[in-house]
Amino acid sequence: MRTRFVPVAVDQWYTRRQKDAEGDWYRKVAAQGPLNDFTSTTQGLYACTPDGKLLGYSNHRSPERTRPLLRKALEEFKPAETAALTVPARDPHLLASAPAGGLVVTVTSKIVDGYEKTEAAETQIFHGSMGRDVLWVLKDEHEALVRGDFPERLKQRIARFHLIDNTRGEPAMWTAEEVKQLQLTLKDGKLTGTVRLEADSKGRRYDTELLGFVETKDGKVTRFDLVSRGQGFGHGGTTEVGAPKGKFTLAIAFRLASGSDEADKAMPQGAKGWVPGYTQLR
Amino acid sequence: MRYVAALLAWAVGGDGISVEEFDKLHAQLRPSLEEAWRKIPWKVSLVEAQNVAAREKKPIFIWSMDGNPLACG
Repeated sequence: MRTRFVPVAVDQWYTRRQKDAEGDWYRKVAAQGPLNDFTSTTQGLYACTPDGKLLGYSNHRSPERTRPLLRKALEEFKPAETAALTVPARDPHLLASAPAGGLVVTVTSKIVDGYEKTEAAETQIFHGSMGRDVLWVLKDEHEALVRGDFPERLKQRIARFHLIDNTRGEPAMWTAEEVKQLQLTLKDGKLTGTVRLEADSKGRRYDTELLGFVETKDGKVTRFDLVSRGQGFGHGGTTEVGAPKGKFTLAIAFRLASGSDEADKAMPQGAKGWVPGYTQLR
Repeated sequence: MRYVAALLAWAVGGDGISVEEFDKLHAQLRPSLEEAWRKIPWKVSLVEAQNVAAREKKPIFIWSMDGNPLACG
């Protein structure tokens, strides 16, 4: 995989919908596989040539199923001259880049307590998994942080889109009405707060305390470290499988993106489908 | 006495999380680059991947899922 393939990981929610050359190329590949109805998921493992000819497909992630897929692809692959794909214009409705002059913050999460013990190997993987997302801080919010202020919009974005259990599947976000308490204070570089989130009709909730540190230099934030440690209950979105049965302790950490990790190039999960809803809370 | 109280409050860190717990959790939740799957040079752009594959005449392996491509979505 490392040397004989070019490996790429994509969020197919975007790629199968994108109205641009990248989306066209992806659909060309996926159309040759069994999940070729683009109104529904096309998830899976695809091996293909640079000109988009499918060499193999599997929707099983086990080594026992993946190794034969890779071997078959290598046996059938014939190196040839292929034009490089160019994308004159990306789909402007679905895609956005990290805000210029803002910050990209790596967000990771983990359930540190609350799972029942299990001997099932795949379930154990989920129990130990770490959720991953990115927080976008806009330019004016970055400037406010440098001044020592913590903008309300940024507090809301953190609470609604990042204080979530995304360790299994895709989570539901919190609506504005589900933010029952939001107290976050930045004073002398120290962030403290408490947040209470509750989806009344579903019983899902997260009560948490936060501690963090912000440092700046030459007009820029150089440190944005924050930890949320709180008690959760329930599940939302597609996180039901393997969810803790009762209360659980969910920890979430924020830190400035390193700039070298490909995972930080993804769009925030909360921006999926409506970027202004994430950035402007519309 | 107020100075001591302020110092204690700083040491505790906040209403509920101590600085020690902050350090522990922040380190525990640092993304690891040592896991086996992170040693694969994943790209997250199909365009980049296709361009490299075309240039180096290699097949492409696409991990196509939902959520952050390099997370547990």
